[in-house]
Amino acid sequence: MHVDIWIAIVVAAIGTYALRVGPLLWTQRHFNKHKANNTEARLPAWLSVLGPLMIAAMLGASLIPKVPSAASWIATAIGTVVTVVVWRKFKSLGLPVFCGVLSFGVAFGIALV
Amino acid sequence: MSQLSSKSGLKQGVIDGLPLLGGYIPVAISFGVIAVQAGFSTLEATLISIFIYAGASQFLLVAMVASGAPLWLAVCMTLLVNVRHVVYAPNLVPYLPQSKAWPYLMHGLTDQIFALAHTRLPLMDDAKKVDWFKGVSMVAWLSWIVGTALGGIAGDSLTQQWPILDSVMPFALPALFLVLLAPKFSSKLWSATLLVTMTAALFLALSAFKNAAIPLAALCGAITFYFLTSHVERKQSHAR
Repeated sequence: MHVDIWIAIVVAAIGTYALRVGPLLWTQRHFNKHKANNTEARLPAWLSVLGPLMIAAMLGASLIPKVPSAASWIATAIGTVVTVVVWRKFKSLGLPVFCGVLSFGVAFGIALV
Repeated sequence: MSQLSSKSGLKQGVIDGLPLLGGYIPVAISFGVIAVQAGFSTLEATLISIFIYAGASQFLLVAMVASGAPLWLAVCMTLLVNVRHVVYAPNLVPYLPQSKAWPYLMHGLTDQIFALAHTRLPLMDDAKKVDWFKGVSMVAWLSWIVGTALGGIAGDSLTQQWPILDSVMPFALPALFLVLLAPKFSSKLWSATLLVTMTAALFLALSAFKNAAIPLAALCGAITFYFLTSHVERKQSHAR
């Protein structure tokens, strides 16, 4: 592969890392400054609201099946309901995900038949 | 979630990261297949997964390079897709104890790791947090790397032999996000905001704005949140 392509990949890798670590360092410095002054540091309200919203957006975008069809959408709906029901019952992380995937797979298989 | 305190941080992190495998491995295999088809070797595709480690943007970068687009544009587009990451670390900082490891660990701060960390870290002892993050991000990173290599070596035959890998396992990601978000649905304000955000993301991802679906949907959610908050405040001030 050409050297210029590798340079582009290295720049993209460094840039992506900078997007992840830069805000961490800036926010930690902001919090430490408040700590040194014995004042309480808080995130700006808009930023703390954005956290759960990003997760909700990822959820919405990831609900789209890889190959959208009636069968995969029905399976998605059933998998979603089962995940929520199992979470309400057990309030754990792994079991609802496992049951959700299992029910999605079973529903997808049945809908295809 | 009640088991959080009984296990070591590393072990708990590895266990919490396991549901990610269902989503990461099939997508990483797809990336390996596409990168090899675009003219990259398996080693090169795997190195991209090791160092860039950012799902959608890797697909974009490889596709743009293969299509002969200007490299500066390919890099700019990659970074534009990844710019959403800037809000992740600041949201975690209030829960992070002092440690020199955090800047290095941020390489592993993907969408899914952020979602897990944002929900799990507030419930955890400070002493376990660094190890937990190491465990969860290592599971995710390694699965992404191994998946890419597998995709480069035998991706096509793998997905043909195991169609379940390609069509069923990726549901692990929405199921995981759902579980992480579920406790937030206890308030009407948040329920409405999150439903608007999810719906917006769903429709945007189905539209031509696929790569911008997440930040645009979050913006829609933020507008909804502030609209509803100010509406409630106005109602309360009228009642007084």
